[in-house]
Amino acid sequence: MTISIWRYSHLALAVSSFILLTLASITGIILAFKPIQEKLQPYRTESFENISLAEVIPQLRKQYPGVSNLSVDANQFVLIKGMDQDGENLLAYVNPTTGALLGEPEAPSEFFEWVTALHRSLFLHETGRFFIGLTSFLLLLITISGAALVVQRQRGWKRFFTSIVRENFAQYYHVVWGRLSLLPICIIALTGTYLSLARFQLIDTAYILPDVDYDSIQDEPALDPTLFEIFTKTPLADLQSIDFPFSDDVEDYYTLKLKDRELNVNQVTGEVLSEVRYPMSVILTELSLDLHTGKTNSLWAILLALASGNILFFIYSGFAITIKRRAGRVRNKHTPRESEYILLVGSENGSTFRFANAIQEQLIAQGKKVYVSELNNYQAFPRAKHIVVLTATYGLGNPPTNSLQFAAKLAQYPQAQSVSYSVVGFGSHAYPDFCKFAFEVDHLLSRQEWAVPLVEIQTVHDKSPDEFGHWAGVWAQHAAVSLTLPASLMTTRQDRPHTLVVTERTTLSETHDAFRVRLRPQHGLTYRSGDLLSVYPADDHRERQYSIGKVAGEVQLSVKLHPGGLGSEYLYALQPGDSITARIDENPHFHFPQKAQQVLMVSNGTGIAPFLGMIDECTSDTNIYLYCGFRDHASFSLYRASVEDYVEQGKLSGFQLARSREDNRYYVKDLLQRDESLVIETLEGGGVIMLCGSLDMQKDVVELLETICQHRLHKSVSYYQSHGQILMDCY
Amino acid sequence: MSSLFKTALLLVALLWASPSDVMAQKATSKYRCMIQMTNYMGEGAYVVISLINPKGAYEKTLYVLGPDKEWYNTLKKWHQFQSKKPSNISAITGASVTGGDRAVNVLDIETSKINAGYKLRFESAVEDNKYHAADLEIPLTTAGLSAKSEGTGYIRYVRFSPN
Repeated sequence: MTISIWRYSHLALAVSSFILLTLASITGIILAFKPIQEKLQPYRTESFENISLAEVIPQLRKQYPGVSNLSVDANQFVLIKGMDQDGENLLAYVNPTTGALLGEPEAPSEFFEWVTALHRSLFLHETGRFFIGLTSFLLLLITISGAALVVQRQRGWKRFFTSIVRENFAQYYHVVWGRLSLLPICIIALTGTYLSLARFQLIDTAYILPDVDYDSIQDEPALDPTLFEIFTKTPLADLQSIDFPFSDDVEDYYTLKLKDRELNVNQVTGEVLSEVRYPMSVILTELSLDLHTGKTNSLWAILLALASGNILFFIYSGFAITIKRRAGRVRNKHTPRESEYILLVGSENGSTFRFANAIQEQLIAQGKKVYVSELNNYQAFPRAKHIVVLTATYGLGNPPTNSLQFAAKLAQYPQAQSVSYSVVGFGSHAYPDFCKFAFEVDHLLSRQEWAVPLVEIQTVHDKSPDEFGHWAGVWAQHAAVSLTLPASLMTTRQDRPHTLVVTERTTLSETHDAFRVRLRPQHGLTYRSGDLLSVYPADDHRERQYSIGKVAGEVQLSVKLHPGGLGSEYLYALQPGDSITARIDENPHFHFPQKAQQVLMVSNGTGIAPFLGMIDECTSDTNIYLYCGFRDHASFSLYRASVEDYVEQGKLSGFQLARSREDNRYYVKDLLQRDESLVIETLEGGGVIMLCGSLDMQKDVVELLETICQHRLHKSVSYYQSHGQILMDCY
Repeated sequence: MSSLFKTALLLVALLWASPSDVMAQKATSKYRCMIQMTNYMGEGAYVVISLINPKGAYEKTLYVLGPDKEWYNTLKKWHQFQSKKPSNISAITGASVTGGDRAVNVLDIETSKINAGYKLRFESAVEDNKYHAADLEIPLTTAGLSAKSEGTGYIRYVRFSPN
């Protein structure tokens, strides 16, 4: 399966590091509590921020003559070390202003020491440190590839934080929490990597404090230490530690380690004997340590713990996603050369394969020869009778990675025999270019000589089982196979919850080929023109669907009578007063647009039915143009009265009739070509073009529209389809 | 009985009761000991200061700079001695010292051992790095304790100051 390089890297990196990453995350969570616990101790002095070294150092030295070192830790606790009056070792926290002893530091917790050693080196010393450092670096790469995947998914940095389509728990929260904890995790990984590099001296953190020149040390002018400039100017908050002079000898001096430099200070004159600024690498090491451990800030430590917890979740959810995708991988029993049913999948992450696999399984169980593959593997299929394309759209209406070569391969390998095709598009209305690539594939196929449309393209919003089930049902009927797909994938509905009473059935039109039926739903049912009525003529699984026109509150169907046709003969046998059980399915992708200013309706034959209902229902001042094609005047006679009525009432702004067997032998396509400017005006003005009728008519009209769109509007039909400006419901 | 006699008797009794305690307290001197490290790169060094008898054998541990038992075996020779004759070192254990830093600690040294052929040995090790069995050895003499003594490994020099 072709997957993008980012996705591949993301997975490969995760697989290669997840064991150590799990360990580092768990220990990391525990260690985040170390600074939190430390900061709970009461050794911090309120006035800490505002005092200078001059107020602290000389006084403490007077109070504790044996003091050798003072240090300020990450919690801003001040610790002194030295010898007390009894000559015993002294190690205690002090109040820097009063010199009062606050308490002795506890021995480092053995538990935290143990966890720290595990976190840093896995108890394996240098070897362990290397692997942990490597893991840290891998985590950094995982973060980068993860960010790239989010950008790809969301179509650009600007949409980075816009909403995400929810496919399932693991996928949704992997992305949602991934975005949120991207920065903290990136910081953890970056600082961890940096610390490892510094530890292995790949980053040079060495600096040498220049030696003091003992010959030039002066012992005058003697100055009171509280007046030393370096002491008065330096706040205690800037101090890391200070080594006190070992004796009163002038050759012993103060060594101050500040946040950014280290210096030696003459203990008599206060002169700075030598000074060195830390190299950037040292400051970065200190910063990395602060950020990596959270030792300076409890809130950051909590955030680090949460981010580490998220890493654990990502490991879990990442593998859950991968396992799910692998479950969707293809196992073919038949070769492309011998298969009659070809299922081609376009999918970025492989999830669409589940649908193809479900169909494959069923067909194979019925003894059919089936081949499933990605769209890129399109080739000559010498035995093929049916091609089904199931494809998602990726990025800004682009083909998924495994479908990029489809268009070229389609041109390269025309099939030798005629093959029926059907396209199912998977997508989400959350994205602007809904199922655009699926529409494109549909058009590409429709232009192939050998390709015969079997059923109208079906779009599936957010993997809707209803929509996919609907397609599967219709396709199975036309392909004369039976598909009862598993409940986990969809629910194939055969229930007939609605009872309808026949109120009218016309006789055949003058040309003896079509009639009209009106039915009144028994209960107050909400439905709209364009919805579908499913009837079960033989009271078995066989279902026939008809587009509904809602006229005067009743269901109006236009039906072409096929001699021996299951559905049409059943409906033609109905008499007023008869009642039938059936089901009305919502068909939202073919509803009259709510907002459009102008709607262009194009139909041929009985495809006029839903339009009549829509015009009847319409109460807004939308401009509606109706273009319909019939064989001749006689076959239009069934609808003439209604249409003339609508024109008179002003509900129709324009009406054009093409008669293919009379007069100029015009098809509806020819009328549209003549009125090209109306087509352009409609699409440019945000209006909608609706198509209903036969797939042959659709093929012709779409071809025409494609030419108009490309040449005059510089966009493709699929662009308008994905933006809901061209709607189709053909059969 | 005169009070003087009573006191003397009490003193004798005490001496009998715990002669070593009283003797030890009397016979030790406290020295501040400063270890200045060289600018080596790497982890904090573990340093142990031991009293070596005139025969050249370990007699007593005076101070351990380095808190984690995990690394004590890197100080090989001292670790052998400490394993054979374990003594409680918790009161004389402090932090390790990193390159360029200094450490100042208080050592208890029996006065009788000074100028009696004993030595102070500074043994140092850095985890996974070189071990210095005798980074520095100082004769335990009045002169030795007042001089600045140069180290040969991680230690740059050591200085003492009597308390």
